[in-house]
Parts: sequence; C-alpha cells; structure tokens
Amino acid sequence: MATRKKVLLKVIILGDSSVGKTSLMNQYVNKRFSNQYKATIGADFLTKEVVVDDRVVTMQIWDTAGQERFQSLGVAFYRGADCCVLVFDTTAPNTFKNLDSWRDEFLIQASPRNPEHFPFVVLGNKIDLENRSVSTKRAQQWCQSKNDIPYFETSAKEGINVDIAFQTIAKNALAQETEDLDTTSGFPNITLNADNNPRPSNDGCQC
Amino acid sequence: MYMWNTSSSSSGTQRTLNSNPQTPTQLDEQDKLLSEALGVVRNQAILMKRNLDKNRLMDGLKCASTMLGELRTSLLSPKSYYELYMAVTDELRFLEVYLCDEFQKGHKITDLYELVQYAGNIVPRLYLLITVGLVYIKSNPATKKSIMKDLVEMCRGVQNPLRGLFLRNYLLTLRNILPDSPPTKDDECGNVHDSIDFILTNFAEMNKLWVRMQHQGHSSEKSRREKEREELKILVGTNLVRLSQLDSVNLEIYQKIILPSILEQVVSCRDAIAQEYLMECIIQVFPDEFHLQTLDPFLKSCAQLQSGVNVKSIIISLIDRLSAYHQRHEKSQPDSTSDASVIPIDVQLFDVFSVQIENIVQIRTDMPLEDTISLQVALVNLAQKVYPDQIDYVDKVLETTTQILENLNMSCINQSLTVNQELSRLLRICIDFYNNILTILNLKYFPKILTKFDYQSRKSLSLYLVMNILDNETLIPTDEHADNVLEMLSPLIKDQEDQPADGPDADDFAEEQGIVGRFIHLLKSEHLDMQYKILQVARKHFGSGGTQRIKYVLPSLVFQAFQLAYKYKAIAAEDENWDKKCQKIIQFCHTTITSIARAELPDLALRLFLQGALCIGKIGQTNYEAVAYDFMTQAFSIYEDEISDSKSQLAAITLIISTVEQMTCFSEENAEPLRTNCALAASKLLKKADQCRGVVTCASLFWSGKKDNEEMRDEKRTLECLKKGARIASQCLDINVQVQLYVELLNSYLYYFERGNSQITVSMLNQLITKINEELPNLDKSEETKQIERHFNNTLAHIKSRMESNLEISFAGITI
Repeated sequence: MATRKKVLLKVIILGDSSVGKTSLMNQYVNKRFSNQYKATIGADFLTKEVVVDDRVVTMQIWDTAGQERFQSLGVAFYRGADCCVLVFDTTAPNTFKNLDSWRDEFLIQASPRNPEHFPFVVLGNKIDLENRSVSTKRAQQWCQSKNDIPYFETSAKEGINVDIAFQTIAKNALAQETEDLDTTSGFPNITLNADNNPRPSNDGCQC
Repeated sequence: MYMWNTSSSSSGTQRTLNSNPQTPTQLDEQDKLLSEALGVVRNQAILMKRNLDKNRLMDGLKCASTMLGELRTSLLSPKSYYELYMAVTDELRFLEVYLCDEFQKGHKITDLYELVQYAGNIVPRLYLLITVGLVYIKSNPATKKSIMKDLVEMCRGVQNPLRGLFLRNYLLTLRNILPDSPPTKDDECGNVHDSIDFILTNFAEMNKLWVRMQHQGHSSEKSRREKEREELKILVGTNLVRLSQLDSVNLEIYQKIILPSILEQVVSCRDAIAQEYLMECIIQVFPDEFHLQTLDPFLKSCAQLQSGVNVKSIIISLIDRLSAYHQRHEKSQPDSTSDASVIPIDVQLFDVFSVQIENIVQIRTDMPLEDTISLQVALVNLAQKVYPDQIDYVDKVLETTTQILENLNMSCINQSLTVNQELSRLLRICIDFYNNILTILNLKYFPKILTKFDYQSRKSLSLYLVMNILDNETLIPTDEHADNVLEMLSPLIKDQEDQPADGPDADDFAEEQGIVGRFIHLLKSEHLDMQYKILQVARKHFGSGGTQRIKYVLPSLVFQAFQLAYKYKAIAAEDENWDKKCQKIIQFCHTTITSIARAELPDLALRLFLQGALCIGKIGQTNYEAVAYDFMTQAFSIYEDEISDSKSQLAAITLIISTVEQMTCFSEENAEPLRTNCALAASKLLKKADQCRGVVTCASLFWSGKKDNEEMRDEKRTLECLKKGARIASQCLDINVQVQLYVELLNSYLYYFERGNSQITVSMLNQLITKINEELPNLDKSEETKQIERHFNNTLAHIKSRMESNLEISFAGITI
C-alpha cells in the first residue's frame, strides 16, 4: 500500500449562522479573535500542520456558511471529509436543536462509507458569555445518543478548550482517513493508464 | 524537453463541441457526464500519487495535467462543474504538499514554474501554475509580489466565463500566503496593498466574466442563464471575503481604497444581478464598524444602480444588520448608558439613512411606491431599535410618508394594493412597538396617514389599535387624549362618508361594537373633574354613532357616569361642590338616556332610567327626590308609550315595581302615585295571566315597599293585591294556566303568611289548596302539567316542614 509521508486531513465545520465557526477556526489556526461579525459566504478553508501520534498531518479545515442562501453552488465540499465538527452556541437553544439537521444533512450529502461510525465532534461555543441556556448535561446526552460523539465546551474568544478540541478532531480524522485507505488499498491494482485512455484526443479548443 | 503535454489532456474534447449543456431532458446526462469525469479524476489522482511516491515528478505532473483536463468541459452545469472542481482541487492539494516537501528537503526544482507552462492546454496549465506558484512563494517569499502579479494576469488567458470563474476562484486559495502587513520601508515580500491590488484585479476580472455570461447564447435561454449566474455568484463574492479577511485592512484603507474600488466596479458593470448580489455581499462580509463610517458612499451608490435592482432590500438588509449590531451590544452590556452605544457619536445613523433614502426615492423614479414605503418601514425599525426614546424620528418618517402620499395625491388606498399592506405595516409596527396609545398620540402624522386608507383598512387599523389598548389596559387619562383617540377610532364610532352601502355582518358588527364598549371603561382619570370632562367628550363622539352603535356604547358611558357620581358622593367631605357636580352628572345621564330612548331602544332606556333613579336615591344630591321622580316617570312614559310586546311589558313592569319597592327617597306624596300607577299598569296588562302575576307582584309594594325609610307592612292592601290576583286567575279560561296561577298564588299567600301578615288566614290557604286539588286531576297529561304538579308538591312539602318546626306563625290547620 502506498504510504505518503504526509497525510492530508479534511475537516468540515457546520452549524447555524453566528455560532462562531469562523472564530473557532481562526482561534485555532491563527490564535486570533475578533469581535467583529463577518458573515461567511460559501465555504473556505485554512490549513494547519499538526502532530498526531508522532505523525505530522496537514489539517485542512473548512469553514462554511451557516446561512443556506450563501451556498448557491451546493455543498460539494462535504465530500471526502474525514471529520465533521458540529458547532452550536451555548446561549442560543435553537442552534443546539438544529444540530440534528446539520448532522443528517452532512450524512446525506457527504455520503461517507460508514455513516454509523463517521467521526463527528460537537463544540458548544461561547461559554464565556453569561446568559447560558443549553446545559452541559443536555448537550452530553445528545452526544451520547449519537454514538458517543466527543463533546467540548469552548470559547473562541478566550481560547478555552479550542486546542484540545481540535486535537481530538485531528486524531479522529486521522483514524478515519487510515480506515478509508485500508478499505481502498486493493484499488490501485486496477491499473489505468492515461495514455491508454480510449477517448479521442483531437483538441479543438485550447481553453 | 519532456513533451508530457502532447498525447494527454485530451479527454472531453469532442464533448466540448456540443456546447449546449443541461436542457431538462439531459439531467441524467449531466449525472453521467459528471461521474465519467469524476472517474477520470479518481484514476489519474491515484496514478499521480503513485508517481509522486516514487518521486517520478514528471509523470506525476502529467497525471495531474490529465486530471485537470477534465475541467475543460463545457457540458456541465455550474453545480456539477463545482463538484468536479472540488474533486480535482482536493487532489491537487496532494501535489502541493508533495512539492512543498521537496522544497523543504532542498531539492532544486527552480525550473518547475517554467516547466509546467508547457502543458498543452491552458486550463490545466494555469491550475498547475497556480499550484506551483504557491509552492514557490512558500519556499522563496521574495518572489511573492511578482508571482502574484504574474498569476492574476495570466488567468486572463481563460475567457470562458464558467471555466474562468472557477480558475480564478482557485487562485483565491492563495489565501494563506497573501501578504497582510502594513507597508514598511523594506517589504520586498509585499504588504497588504499588494494583496488588495491582487484581489481587486481578480475581482474585476471575475465580475466581467460573470456579467458576460448574461450576454452569451440564445435569448430564449435567458432564464436558465440567470439561474446559472445566481449559482455562480458565490465565486465572485469570495473576492470580497478575501478582502475582509485581511487583518491589516483598517477603516482608512477600507474607506479610501477598498470600498471605492468595489463600488466603482459594481456601479459601472451596469448589470442588475451583479449589482444586487455584490451590494448584499459587501453588507454581509465587512464588519459593522466599517459600514457605520461609510454609509454615505454606500447609499449614494445604491441610488445609481440599474433600474431592475431591488434597492429596497439592499438598504433594508443594511439597516437590519446595523440594528442587530446595536442590539447585540445592548444585550451584552445591559448596564451601559446610552453614551456607551456602539454607534459612534459622530455617526448620525438615522439622519444619514433618512437623507440618503430620500435621495434614492427622488433619483429612482421607477421605484414602485410600495418599495418606497417599505424603506420608510425600515427607517422606523431603525429608529425604534437604535433610538427607542426618540419618537420624533419616527414622526419624521411618518411625515415624509404623508408627503409622499400627498404628492401623489393618494387617498382611499385600496385594501388589495401592496402599498396598502406596506402602509399598514408602517402603522402597526408603531402600535406594536410602543404598546401605548398615548405615545401614538404624540406622533402627529400617524392620524394623517390613517386618513389615507380606504374604509375597510381604516376600520381594521382602528380595531387593531383598540385591541392594543385593551390588551395593554392603557388608561386614557384626559379629555384631550380621549378626544384624539376617539377621533382616530372614528371608523368604529360613527358612519364614514366612504362607507359601503350594505352594512357589515350583524355578528361581526356586534363583536366590534362590544370591543368598543369595553374600551369605554378605559377612558378613566383618577381626577374626578377630569373624568367628567372625559365623559362629556366621549358623549359627543359616541352620540353621533347612530342607532346601531348607540345600543352597544352609550350604556357603558351611562354606567361610567353613575360610578363617577358615587365617587363624588364618597368624597363629599373633601369637595364642597360635589353636590353641584352630581347634579350635572345626573343631568348628563338623563340626556344620554333620553337619546337612547329616541334611538328607539325603549327597553334599554327604561332600564337605564330605573338604574338612574336608584342611583339618585343613594346619592341624595339637591332636589334628588324630584329628579328621581322624574326618572321614574320617564320610565313609566316609555312603558306606556313605547313598549307594546306583552312579554316585554310584563318584564318592564316587574322591573318598575321592584325599583319602586326598593326606592327610599320618596315622600308619600310621590310614592303613593307611583304605587298606584304600578298597580294600575299591572292590572291593565293584556293577558290575564300577566295581569295576575303583575298584580301579585304589586303586593310587595305595600309590604316591603318603603315609607319614611321603613317597610310599609300594609297588611290590608297587600292582601287586596293577592285577592285581586286570585280573582283574575279565576277568570282565566285556560285551565292549565289557571292551575299554574293558583299554585303561584298559593306561594305568594304563603310568603306573606309566613312573614306575619295577619290578614291572611289558614282558611284562605286551605281554600286555595282545595281548589288546586280539585282541578289538578282534570289537566291533560303533559310535561307542563307535570311541572305544575311538581311545583305544587314542593309547596306542600314546604308547608309540611314548616308545620313540623316550631315557628312563631302557626301553620296548624292547613290541610295538605
């Protein structure tokens, strides 16, 4: 089996608008936080190199728009994800309730090979705010009911639990990636050569 | 030279010739094309990775090029192309990681940048160039500036909109290496301005490609093209996202460089779809702090957009965003004073919007009136959320709205029009926001706008208003307020000139007027003198309501007046004028009840006169006896002149009798004629049964009726009434009715017997019982008969229980 020196992991962050997806990613990757609110349109990624179990992996973190109207081209970027991070705002119960539909949407659109065991991680963000309205217990219960999803309470603003959460994300993503490689390891034996491509090659347009 | 570009990168060329993607029947075809292309990508990616693992760079690049060749297709719809693009770029990332590694290990691949330029087709070539360029920049930051310029220029080579847009979107993944530091003397690696130039150039090019799509192909496919453009918009918007992600961009740079360039591009492209989206995009991706300082240029540009652009929703979206920003801040700092608002002191948010919106309305003459009104609604929303105490702002918007309507000579605005809905919304958000009619009254232009509606809308708005008053139990504390509120509610209170000839549904009308009746009880001041003034004003308004309404509303007013009189009486010790005031109030009631009588509502008027008499008796103001007597005679006249239905007559005379029985204020001189009249009236009732019952009721006048504040206990006259009743009953021909009357009489006899009327003897009772016992078996068996029997048996049971208990009055000798 081909083992590349570096592993590339794809992580998708989902959740309602203004729960702090972009802020979490920025805090993790750039160690920065801004109070300014900028809506994310479409999907966008940042990369970060991390060491997981003595391996250097490149994590590609996809931040997505919480508002559907900003996804005019659909969600093709879900495909090939190794881990999905579901974020809600601990001060906004609705964002917690919507986790179910984000999870379902992801499983339908990304159609991972083994949906039952696909790694998710749930982050309850904004714990630095006082008006908390989703209890730890409630969030934990939900996570347990979904095949024991790891749950972290974070503050992108204060940087609380952000690193440790992403470390878990990376670890679970890597496990998933390895599993995927194992299941496809027989694939390269079917050799296809571009030169033998049966399709015609009379180039008309050059662009 | 390794000519790795010659035989490969060939896929899909024949397909390219057919450039008419996705007609409805070809949806399956789309899936097929996409999965074919994805298959090629997957296979080439595997080969590429294998080659790279074995350090065969050239072969790896060749596979990458073949894979990228799939992006040359013209057959895919934007969404399918996006999927393909995602699959390809995911794989390209492996190439990028590999190349970076090689650089880090010190492998020299300096000619790589040149090498990939030999890829035969421009699309794969440019994707590879961007990928390699990125690696270059990472390994040698000094090349950053020139490579960035180079790439953004070279991308011009792809002029097909779809392919160009995605290629340039890939260029934007250079995000990680965009220089983002303020300018310094030796920043050869570039500073934030290089990034800004780079993105703005890319943005302009992408926008051109995107706009050009509109003008390509057959006109019959316009709607499909527009749909595709809608889907692709996000790629263009990503440029703005990149700009907003630059940390070194401060307000000054945004104000002086970024925003003007974007706006210039937006306005000059003269394309409605682009303009609408990009303006919305600016609002969403840049922070509130920037927007607050650039409202003028932004809003000025709004005025210059194409006529098809929905400027209204752009502005509303901006207002919503800034209001939300303000509120978010308020919530997080609940203790903060108004000084600590997030809206900078030098930003006159309301004024800026107000002026600019006016400007937009003037310039954009083609804007539909409902949109203009929607903008006013948005302004009111802004004023209420950000400046909740400044009701003059809201009034200013209402004034502007009034003027707009007047300039257009709009009146009687029909319920079916969109303008009507927007205008209603304008008024309703005011009602809902303040939840206080008194605040609404301070909006001078509120009633003016109200008059612009057609009758139905005016009525439903009035109803909305009155329901709001009831829900919030808002008291209307002065006559002036009352006058204004009632004027505003006039569609509920009096007939309107433009009212349709056929009246409303009777039930609806009754419900509506019932609501108004409830409202009257909220016309209330703690100060009694003021309360009186309020009642007078209300009377004036309601008096013109016409017969149909009077029935529902004037009684409430009369009862309010009675209550007021009681209150004056209660503070008689403090207010030496209480007596005069009560006289006035009673006068007020008299006139009001008289007008109810005139409105041909005799039953109602009669009852109110009786209630009035009772009230006067308790108040005891100057001349009260004469006045109360007058009220009684009014009731009598109505009884005699107006009430003709026999049932109503009996009910009315019963009420009159019981009122007279309760009154304590009359001297004998007045009381006697009243009693006599009652007795006379009762005996003149049309039906024998009614006569009998009326006359028997009169007995109470002589028993518990008052004389010098004491019950009369006139045994003889009491008995006379009963005897007269018995005589009338005996004349009754319907035997059922007769027996029923006898049973009732027996009860009356017993009543007075028990209370010690010595004129009533046991033998009289026995006589009646015998009579009933004789007649009862002769009755037809019917439900009615059963009831009579039951009544009689219960009466006998009562007598029996009395006989068994030791009472002062001896029941002995009654034969059951």
